[in-house]
Amino acid sequence: MKVAAVALASVTLATVVLATVASGFSRTEQVSSPTYTKDIAPLIADRCGMCHDAGGAAPFGLLTYADAKRHATQIATVTRSRFMPPWKADPDNGPFVGQHPLSDAEIDLIRRWVDGGTVEGDPRDLPAPRHWAEGWRLGQPDLIVTLPEAYTLQAEGTDVFRIFVIPLPVTKTRFVRGLEFRPGNAKVVHHANIRVDKTAASRALDAADPGPGYSGLILRSADYPEGHFLGWTPGQVAPLLPKDLSWRLDPKTDLVIETHMQPSGKKESVQPSIGLYFSDTPPTRTPAMLRLGRQTIDIPAGEKQYIVTDSYTLPVDVEVEALQPHAHYRAREVQGDATLPDGTKKPLIHIADWDFRWQHVFQYETPLRLPKGTTLSMRWVYDNSAANTRNPERPPKRAQWGQRSSDEMGDLWMQVLTRNEPDLVTLTRQFRAKVAAEDVNGYEVEIEKHPNDIGLHDDAALLYLEVGRPENAVAHFQKSLALKGGSAPAHYNLGTALSVAGRLDEAVYEYRQAIQIDASYANAHNNLGSVLLSQGKTAEAAREFREVIRLQPQSASGLANLAWVLATASRPADRDATQAVDLAERVVDLTGRRDARALDVLAAAYASAGRFDRAQDAASAALRLLPAEPLASEIRQRQDLYRQGRPYVAQDPQSRR
Amino acid sequence: MIPSALFFVMVYVMSRWFVALALLVGGLLASPGQIVHAAPQVRVQQVDGGHAVDPLAAPAGSKAIVFLFTSTDCPISNRYAPEVRRLATTYGPKGVVFRLIYPNPAENAKGIREHMAAFAYAGAAQAFRDPKLDLVKFVGATITPEAAVVVDGKVVYRGRIDDRYVDLGLERPAATTHDLGEALEAVVTGRKVPHPTTQAVGCYIADFAR
Repeated sequence: MKVAAVALASVTLATVVLATVASGFSRTEQVSSPTYTKDIAPLIADRCGMCHDAGGAAPFGLLTYADAKRHATQIATVTRSRFMPPWKADPDNGPFVGQHPLSDAEIDLIRRWVDGGTVEGDPRDLPAPRHWAEGWRLGQPDLIVTLPEAYTLQAEGTDVFRIFVIPLPVTKTRFVRGLEFRPGNAKVVHHANIRVDKTAASRALDAADPGPGYSGLILRSADYPEGHFLGWTPGQVAPLLPKDLSWRLDPKTDLVIETHMQPSGKKESVQPSIGLYFSDTPPTRTPAMLRLGRQTIDIPAGEKQYIVTDSYTLPVDVEVEALQPHAHYRAREVQGDATLPDGTKKPLIHIADWDFRWQHVFQYETPLRLPKGTTLSMRWVYDNSAANTRNPERPPKRAQWGQRSSDEMGDLWMQVLTRNEPDLVTLTRQFRAKVAAEDVNGYEVEIEKHPNDIGLHDDAALLYLEVGRPENAVAHFQKSLALKGGSAPAHYNLGTALSVAGRLDEAVYEYRQAIQIDASYANAHNNLGSVLLSQGKTAEAAREFREVIRLQPQSASGLANLAWVLATASRPADRDATQAVDLAERVVDLTGRRDARALDVLAAAYASAGRFDRAQDAASAALRLLPAEPLASEIRQRQDLYRQGRPYVAQDPQSRR
Repeated sequence: MIPSALFFVMVYVMSRWFVALALLVGGLLASPGQIVHAAPQVRVQQVDGGHAVDPLAAPAGSKAIVFLFTSTDCPISNRYAPEVRRLATTYGPKGVVFRLIYPNPAENAKGIREHMAAFAYAGAAQAFRDPKLDLVKFVGATITPEAAVVVDGKVVYRGRIDDRYVDLGLERPAATTHDLGEALEAVVTGRKVPHPTTQAVGCYIADFAR
């Protein structure tokens, strides 16, 4: 074979010489096979160099002739199959940052170079060497944090997901313009999703799991900060944000890094670092994170074509900044579209060969404007048959929604900017309700699988309260209470859900149970007082509010509630206008005159004491804070009474019946 | 091409002849540790230099030799290290000799030693270099990782270790067919190897020789 190759090469050379003689230099270029220096080196430097440099994320470098030649067949094979360079979206989507797929002509050029014997060519043709920064690609970070102790990745098996929690040592509020992830061991770290947790909940899970990080689920408290995607895929670094788009980082915040790793055949040490880039000034714009997706996914074993769709019609104009589809191993295809109000369909993203291994945040080069009334839609297709090579179960099994990679998901996340703050409020309020309604489905699936997980029941109950389904909240808090074996907070939670559901006698019972276990439980006394008050048991309610203030003299709710009773009780014997004014003034001070309800209480207290001018002023101050309904209307009605020189007196619930 | 074909025929005949002779000699003298000679034309290098050796020669009593073609920087090849060690642990005591072959001429003794230490191959398999692709051509290997099982100088299995990798960029979460293990089980139990050739997935040996 060696002999044959040499012979072929000399034939080519002869052709070249003849062509040169015949018609000059330009013809030579057409007939000669591609060379490394002229044709291949520039392509590799541009499309592969960000990973396949000496210290990059790829398993080997490709930036010298020797290295390129040594992987020539492989390069030709993986470019032809479009496994490399990894870019899963259709080439006409976007344009997105970092999008530089090879054209068919370029792929063919590589094939011809390999078939032609990987000719080196004239060294003078080599492009100027391109230097990929050795260290941080966004420059020297303002803060670098590193996983304190390296994680040891097992030698074998399939993908490993580990969640690392790194506390951020900031002592004052900072504004973050950029974040760069360095995997610490690029040979095994495949991608990372990064979130922030302002609570200690993720940290607690980390502490409970031996070794660095924990294996399990991302908590609800760990979220993308203020509508910003954070993550890392090999070869990609999200550029710095414009200064007006930074995100706020407060002290006591942890980074939560979900790290996807592939075992290498030997034990590997993994110790990622993250560089943060700060801005001096707070953001003036905040994006919103929209999430299309279903948590009712339930794919029968063997199903080849399971389809999940979702859509949402924008209530305001937006600019789409970035997209991130997310699903697991059974997903095969995703399509995201925007249908404009005039019916025109704009494809946002299409991945025909979804690969869980190559997830990416697709950031638009120029944000995509979509007018109010545009319908965003997504469509996922799953193959849960044995024909899907990546199916994690063999033989295939029923697959339901779940965060674990053995379960399935189907989301399309979109980062959008609104024109102004009121539009943002409109969008996020409406969208939050949509997401919460979907999330309860996911919790029900999780709970079916883990019926004795107290945290799941508690979270689900809170979600049900958020979406206005208190009876479901009651059921989950009851289960949680049974599992916990009667703790004070469990009784308290159940009491709260029962009060929202209007089951007041049962609520009173639960609060009393909580107080019996923990007599100093101020919130339980407070809520018990509120329920008693709405049952018309004014004196008993006042006793509970006094207990709150005894336990916590600075409790705004305790002070406000007692002031309200003393100012508005239906029986004159229960009223004490002087004390009500005193308490209400303390609450208004405590809340910095920025709480409409506190000012409403103060107004009622003044009116009770006959000081109607001051009552009207306080009511006006409350209304200036634009309180939500129905409070705003109630304050207006009360203000009318004060104008007429009449105090507000609570109706006796008994007399209402 | 014709000279190559002749060459292969000759190797086959000679190896059969040598094996037959050795068995006869071994039978007569009954000496343990007697070296069984096979195709003398195939030579590989010892990792630390020294004279070239015959990779097909195995201690007497060996039932088969497994050649595992590997390279230090091929990720798929490396991910198989634990499986190779498991197979060596299972079939070593049953008379199967495991040999790790590094065909890349660019790989040196130091790199190979470090690679063997990192992936804990030492003890499980002997290592040789095959920079002239002598053995590669003899068994017809094209990929790292690829396995060849040789019995009596004859290749009875060549291909993947298992079916975990379907293509570059496409893999199963776990293998469903353990082709090399099945071949070895057949050899040690005296059965016919069910699938004598399969397609390996990994790095191309042809690229090493460019």
